Amino acid sequence: MEAGRSPNIEIITLAELKELSGKPGNFKAKLHIRPRYVDPLKCTSCGMCTTYCPKEVVDEYNERLTFTKAARIDYAQAVPTVYYLDEKECLRLQHESCQLCANVCGPNAIVFDQQPEERELEVGAVVLALGFGRVPEEVLEKYGYGKYPDVLTSLELERLTCASGPTEGEVIRPSDFAHPQRIAFLQCIGSRDVTCDNGYCSSVCCMYAMKEASVVKEHLPEAQIDLFFMDIRTQGKGFDEAFNRAVEKYGFRTIYARVPRVDQVGRRLALTYVTEDGKTHRDFYDMVVLSVGLDAPADAEVLSQRLGVELNHYGFAKTRVAAPLETNVPGIFVAGAFQGPKDIPESVVQAQGVAAECSELLAEVRGKDAIHKEFPPEDEELERLEPRIGVFVCHCGVNIAGVVDVKEVARYAASLPGVVYTEDVLYSCSQDTLNELVKKIRENRLNRVVIAACSPRTHEPLFQETLREAGLNPALIEMANIRDQCAWVHAEDPEAATEKAKDQVRMAVAKAARLAPLELQRVSVTPSALVIGGGAAGLQAALSVANQGFEVYLVEREAELGGNLRRVTGLLSGEKPQKILEDLIKQVESHPKIRVYKGTTVENVSGYVGNFTSTLRREEGSEVINHGVVILATGGREHRPERFGLGENERVLTQLDLEAELERRGGKLSRARSIVMIQCVGSRGDDLKYCSKLCCQQAVKNALRIKKRYPKKDVYVLFRDMRTYSFSEDAYREARKAGVIFLRYQPESKPELITKGKRLAVKVYDALLGEELLLPADLLVLSVGIAPGENEEISKVIKAPLTGDGFFLEAHAKLMPVELPVEGVYVCGLAHAPKPLDETLAQARAAAAKAAIPLAKGFVEVAPIVSRVDQARCIGCGICAELCPYGAIEMVKVGKRKKAQTITASCKGCGICASHCPVLAISMGGFTDEAILAQIEAFGAFVEREAEGKSKEEKAA
Amino acid sequence: MASKKSGKVLVLGGGITGVQAALDLADLGYYVYLVEKKASIGGVMAQLDKTFPTNDCSI
Amino acid sequence: MAFDPKILSFFCHWCCYAAADSAGVARYQYPPNNRVIRVMCTGRIDPRFIIEAFYAGADGVLVGG
Repeated sequence: MEAGRSPNIEIITLAELKELSGKPGNFKAKLHIRPRYVDPLKCTSCGMCTTYCPKEVVDEYNERLTFTKAARIDYAQAVPTVYYLDEKECLRLQHESCQLCANVCGPNAIVFDQQPEERELEVGAVVLALGFGRVPEEVLEKYGYGKYPDVLTSLELERLTCASGPTEGEVIRPSDFAHPQRIAFLQCIGSRDVTCDNGYCSSVCCMYAMKEASVVKEHLPEAQIDLFFMDIRTQGKGFDEAFNRAVEKYGFRTIYARVPRVDQVGRRLALTYVTEDGKTHRDFYDMVVLSVGLDAPADAEVLSQRLGVELNHYGFAKTRVAAPLETNVPGIFVAGAFQGPKDIPESVVQAQGVAAECSELLAEVRGKDAIHKEFPPEDEELERLEPRIGVFVCHCGVNIAGVVDVKEVARYAASLPGVVYTEDVLYSCSQDTLNELVKKIRENRLNRVVIAACSPRTHEPLFQETLREAGLNPALIEMANIRDQCAWVHAEDPEAATEKAKDQVRMAVAKAARLAPLELQRVSVTPSALVIGGGAAGLQAALSVANQGFEVYLVEREAELGGNLRRVTGLLSGEKPQKILEDLIKQVESHPKIRVYKGTTVENVSGYVGNFTSTLRREEGSEVINHGVVILATGGREHRPERFGLGENERVLTQLDLEAELERRGGKLSRARSIVMIQCVGSRGDDLKYCSKLCCQQAVKNALRIKKRYPKKDVYVLFRDMRTYSFSEDAYREARKAGVIFLRYQPESKPELITKGKRLAVKVYDALLGEELLLPADLLVLSVGIAPGENEEISKVIKAPLTGDGFFLEAHAKLMPVELPVEGVYVCGLAHAPKPLDETLAQARAAAAKAAIPLAKGFVEVAPIVSRVDQARCIGCGICAELCPYGAIEMVKVGKRKKAQTITASCKGCGICASHCPVLAISMGGFTDEAILAQIEAFGAFVEREAEGKSKEEKAA
Repeated sequence: MASKKSGKVLVLGGGITGVQAALDLADLGYYVYLVEKKASIGGVMAQLDKTFPTNDCSI
Repeated sequence: MAFDPKILSFFCHWCCYAAADSAGVARYQYPPNNRVIRVMCTGRIDPRFIIEAFYAGADGVLVGG
């Protein structure tokens, strides 16, 4: 929706890149665009073509679980919301035999003779966001898919649980449409499986399986669900907690086993599997769900050849840890699952990061090709007149009109006070209707508009823009939601739905009459950033913001830059971490736009997005700086618990200590014959509730490094779940091949340290042998996890909340992973959550992109819903300032008295201040007391009508 | 001398990654061609039933 | 005759109003007894609004946030 509306995003569908030439900054791209056979400017997405299309085809969007037509749209909210003809299936296009769709299409949008088109584009940079491909069906067939109808893929189940899916959300098994009572989820289908050439871990299946199992359980509370894991890999932020909560809430059984064999026995599916104690089991299920992994995108190979982009041996884009978003071709970037299997938040981070990459490359031409929309000046005279309200009632095709009598609603609206114009329209949001709307507003000199249609959440911005085009203030519109919250939910009672629609329209009209024009507030922005923290995240973020053309203050508390990365001596990719760090530091320190403050702390941050003022304190004295945004890259620290003799015995190390040993000649490591590593010492429940995400990779990496140098030494890794997600699974496999011994322990029976004189040993229970082992540990290496840094202080200074675990809480876990609830403040790296270096560097760029947006615009525009304090009435009690969750009210001295004042740029318009002001001195733009009270009063007529109806009934009786 | 570079970016792929990159690039002052091989953008995410409560990604 | 209450609902734009939209997208059916006023946050709701709602004749007030 949003992408569909931006004047600076041109969506080109059904298109493929054929050729690319040129160099960074100046590429020429040739596109091949297949015909849609429907004119997007004419199509109103009414759906008549689909209704009348006689050709049924299997519905790919619904995972082939149902049928659709050759003339169709994949789903109702698709962008662009334009139907298309399926070339391969359409009778007309294949056999010239039918033209029903063209006959029934009201706006004549069907174009049978549309031809493929070639288009040449000039661009400065290219982003490859090809996503992921599908695991071939042959792989699934090994588990009975295709052979036994009740073996489903996870994506098929996703469609089954969807309320607008083929079964309207009913979970049934395909063989007999019965509700399955026992369901099994099989993990690692097409992942971690070298036999199908997918040796990597797909990184998302453990989470989605848990989500799907939970959704199924909501639909079928009686169902019993078992999940079969090789390892439970829920390493993302907050995922362990969510996983455990779901298991507890729904009573799922989690079983550690290799993927079971699937057979059909009678009407049920038999699973044969071997648990870790070596025992074979056989259980029966009604339905089996395959948690299918993510494959490399199908078109990657052809495209990579065309572009000269290197792929890794699995067919994903090849990147380096130091530059996770860059391909080998300068100017061509990569993001999302094509860079390696990943979930939504990680994809969003990379998408934002890649925007920073392009923005760095093209900084000098920013804005050159952007389109700025101009609006006519507001007709203030008209706005001052008595309300002249226009009411537009939308059919939304049959979505509303199929239930609500829209003509009746429009007639009724005409009788309401202040209404001078009413009309019912087929699709209020289609471009031609919007143009008409502008005309009608002008012709009828309307100064207030009510749109009775869908939700203001999705469509109000669109209509606000239309008002601006008509020369009206965008605040002068009110929507009545008669689709989502009326027609759709009262489909069985058209009469009552029509009454409700009338009431909502009456309430909207009452409010509209009291709407006042609100000034779109623009606050100018100081074009510089403060980056707090000089570790990998801070360095990369600072560099990216500076490369995009803005001043940066980089503040590091310690005397040296580099943070935790200084202690890392190797990477799985073979890259040199110290080289990466040196490069970063060199670039940062020599950058003309970056000022580095070492040995400095940030003391006081005040202000709001665009205009912050901070005090930087160092020994020599303090300095006050002004900046527009803040990036928090405060890092994390190695957790060093007093467990297993850490800190007491010199032969007990952390993984980071070991990294130093690995660089040394001689020393403890060379003398040790047997090295034991213990995972999750502190993480996942002991001291830290969460998974620290990178320890498993780090242990595997260090174990491999030991084996490479000293092949004869014994290395044991005691773990709970090996979380070598994505391509680091390769290293896990390699380590096993190299002779590293991996043993799983359960949290109930943790390994124990045994000291015999000077010798150390670790006692651990081996499930396969069924007995306790005593492993000699000449060197004991602990994976201790990552604790939050000193986030608490900064969180108080900035008023940005922390999670229960002490990391910064992002504005939205999935879609806003680097933004904080406080505007103008962004987070990256370990300050956000534990993560490996490549993810930190990508996230740092994401934060840099988000931070650069207000800097690039030069102003912050605030929706006119903010609070305004009438300082003549304000008694300076300060309740509002105290209560404001966004720190958007400050107390200022006006004359001798304290008065409240809204910081417009920080205000989110929640109105807590207004509802608590004891003297009613605060009004909310668009949601004034007056307007809401008018709505309540208008609600009263509903009561009266009902009462009348009742008394009539009683009389009749 | 004015730079000869183009201020436009080509984003290949209209899934959540491509859409997010396009939105941020547009916000940063670039013109974006968002190219998708299917008939609509949204990618696999549009096929998911529930990912998070608001479902306001590309839709 | 069955009780047919008239309910005035105040929904928070960010959560409950969004949820009510989702209910529509999912085509959940529920009785048509409520009328909705959208606010940017339930924190906006002045106790006065609730009293006025009852005064206007509401049988119930639903605050969703």
